[in-house]
Amino acid sequence: MSLLAQLRILVVDDTTTSRLLLRDALETLGFRNIQVAPDGEQAMKMMMTTPSHLIISDMNMPKMNGLQLLHAIRTYKPTSRTPFMILTGSPDRAVLDEGRKLGLNNYLTKPFNPDQLRRALEAIVGKLH
Amino acid sequence: MDTMAAIKQTFFQECEEQLAELEQGLMTIEREEGDVETINAVFRAVHSIKGGAGAFGLDDLVRFAHTFETTLDGMRSGKLDATPQIVRLMLRSADILADLVRISRDGGEPDQARVAQMSDELSRAGGAHAAPVPEAMPQPLIGDGFEADEFGFAPTPVAFDFGADADSEPADTGVDEFGFAPVAISFDTLVGDVEEAGQTYDIVFKPAPGLYAKANDALRLLRELGRLGDMTVTCETDTVPLLSELDPEGAYLTWKIELKTDAAETAVREIFEFVEFDCELSIARRLNLDGTADVVAQPMEDLVPADEPVEVLAPIAPVTVAEIAPPAERTSPAAASQPVQAATAQQPTIRVDLDRVDRLIDLVGELVINQSMLAQRVTEAGIARLSDVAVGLDDLENLTREIQDSVMAIRAQPVRPIFQRMSRVVREVADMTGKSVRLVTEGENCEVDKTVIERLADPLTHMIRNAIDHGLESPEKRVAAGKPEQGVVRMIAAHRSGRVVIEVSDDGAGINRAKVREIAIGKGLIEENLQLTDSEIDDLIFAPGFSTASTISDVSGRGVGMDVVRRSIQALGGRITITSRPGKGTTFTLSLPLTLAVLDGMVVTVAGQTLVVPLSAIVETLQPKASEVHSLGESARVIAIRGSFIPLIDVGSVLGYRSDEAQPTHSVAVLVETENQSQCALMVDGIIGQQQVVIKSLEANYGHVFGVAAATILGDGRVAVILDVDAIVAGSRSEAARADAIRKRNAA
Repeated sequence: MSLLAQLRILVVDDTTTSRLLLRDALETLGFRNIQVAPDGEQAMKMMMTTPSHLIISDMNMPKMNGLQLLHAIRTYKPTSRTPFMILTGSPDRAVLDEGRKLGLNNYLTKPFNPDQLRRALEAIVGKLH
Repeated sequence: MDTMAAIKQTFFQECEEQLAELEQGLMTIEREEGDVETINAVFRAVHSIKGGAGAFGLDDLVRFAHTFETTLDGMRSGKLDATPQIVRLMLRSADILADLVRISRDGGEPDQARVAQMSDELSRAGGAHAAPVPEAMPQPLIGDGFEADEFGFAPTPVAFDFGADADSEPADTGVDEFGFAPVAISFDTLVGDVEEAGQTYDIVFKPAPGLYAKANDALRLLRELGRLGDMTVTCETDTVPLLSELDPEGAYLTWKIELKTDAAETAVREIFEFVEFDCELSIARRLNLDGTADVVAQPMEDLVPADEPVEVLAPIAPVTVAEIAPPAERTSPAAASQPVQAATAQQPTIRVDLDRVDRLIDLVGELVINQSMLAQRVTEAGIARLSDVAVGLDDLENLTREIQDSVMAIRAQPVRPIFQRMSRVVREVADMTGKSVRLVTEGENCEVDKTVIERLADPLTHMIRNAIDHGLESPEKRVAAGKPEQGVVRMIAAHRSGRVVIEVSDDGAGINRAKVREIAIGKGLIEENLQLTDSEIDDLIFAPGFSTASTISDVSGRGVGMDVVRRSIQALGGRITITSRPGKGTTFTLSLPLTLAVLDGMVVTVAGQTLVVPLSAIVETLQPKASEVHSLGESARVIAIRGSFIPLIDVGSVLGYRSDEAQPTHSVAVLVETENQSQCALMVDGIIGQQQVVIKSLEANYGHVFGVAAATILGDGRVAVILDVDAIVAGSRSEAARADAIRKRNAA
């Protein structure tokens, strides 16, 4: 079975548009098991009940930004090693430095196309096909 | 690319929400009530618009949002103070952003000069903080919506060189720029133990009698559950008693469900959300085939390397989250028992094409007419009031009304968006006239029919412009008059007796009555020696062809006067009145029906015609006695009611149904109160009864007729006109006044 068919991905973003775009791109790549959460709190809750294998999170969100979510994910034992990728509309050195300290696996800038998304994911988990 | 088109639609809908949030946030900051979170929310709104716009290649929008965001970031990081000037600049930028969003959606050309000027102002305001914005952003590569950002590099998502796979990228990649290399995870670690997609839940569901009593249906719940995946249901019937002992309202069944689904447990629980207190429910996720898990989900151990001890954890305490972010406001004690709750429980909604709703409204209108016809036929057939048929018809009438109310409620919307739009009008007019203005709004949650709201935009815009342009004095004059330099325009919406009332007021100089009178005489609107009350003078500004602008300003004037405003309000079945106090300001009051489709009316006859008088205007009806009727002058007659004299209006002659005068003693007087609280008695020949009628617009199907607001179809299928009480009263008053003036002149 290929990784594509098995990998469950959690998409975290506060705007419906971004969630739909990311979901659409992931489906284009062949992923079939995608969960979505509108904010960090929901994301944490989902990781506790139906854990995903990989998290793609927006950076700029209300209440809890991407880095804060990453911190929460890393401090919760069962998800401490879950691959985590941040999506950002404005890449920023300070954010990425902080991300590296927290164990960020990769980042991707918006806007992106499915191919770039695939390569960003493959940089973390290896070839998808 | 159907999905993309659908997502784009969602994007524009979301943009509207973000634009509203942006404006609200900036106005909060302007009132100096903002905090860090307000600034963050404002920044996020622009950032989200930029993000979505980038995905759809909307370059103009991306560019401007980027400049705007950069300056906002300066404010967010405390490098730029939120001075009144800066906040005003931001508000104007928000207007431009809104324009760009709408142009991206509806087509058209942006005013590039204005956009460029605003971008300049924003960059200058951002000052040292703002990174220089490139003259022109490079066009995104085909199918690769990337743009260079202020760092001057085109980011690449991956550090790995995929050789031929790589796009042509500039030498300095994101990795070099930020020194970030992706952290890979071994493929094997991931796949080694990944469970199959989806899970199995074991659900035991035992309804209590209360579940059925509240009209919930176990079958419907099971059906919904089945939509989540593959389901096997077994029903335990051992507890069902013998028929003789069975309580028809009892609950005896237990269902055991095995559900294979990809859905999260939350989705499974959601289905039982409304019945959780009326049933016994357990939901357990099966880990694998040889055992069932607790309801507590098993943490994800697959990714924990084998050499680390695996802890089986209780659900995380909210502390972890709390350390990082304050938990969401707890509004109810119930929520406290579930540490991680959705921040906002949203009412589920559904989008429906307006055409469908309107078709439904039309049908309900026909239903109302049909029902009243049927009721009339039954009455005519002489069927007893208490017969089964008549009682059944009464029920039908109640049901029809309920259906009507429910359908109307579908179209009802709060006035908030339109009030928000007005704040932009205020900014623009204040800029043009050099006046300082604050807009205060109240009652934004008042709900009105969607069409009413849509058609309010123009009249309200015009009234607000008038209020600032003509109502408010210049800052110097205000200070000289001992007023604060900043003028205030208020918009208040409220529900009053089945109508919605919107007041637009200013605290300016009030109406200059001497000047208004002078202009009206000059334009031949009134006779020179006509004595008018203050309120009659104020009303002159609604007269066609009246415009107070001595110099045609850029703002109001240009031939669109308050008469156009009055007409458009009347076309909505509404009325507009004015009150003004010298030196204190002017208030315009709009009174509008909540819906355009129906009205309660009194059906009357005049000279063989059937007419409908809106019930909302009627105070009482009475049979005039000869002793109560007095003549004033030649044409005017009054009726004495409880010590006050009320003008009598002969509807038949006002509308031209007959030339001779009606005899008050042979008529019925319908006492009506107009919008400006003046009372009049309308003389009609007889009253047929009260009835709810469906309004059919006369303007849409024929044209405007004096004294007629609309038409309707009665129960017997005949067409009847609905009276415009205000117009008739006003018409006859000016008629009487004119007749009086002519008489006086002839006598002199």
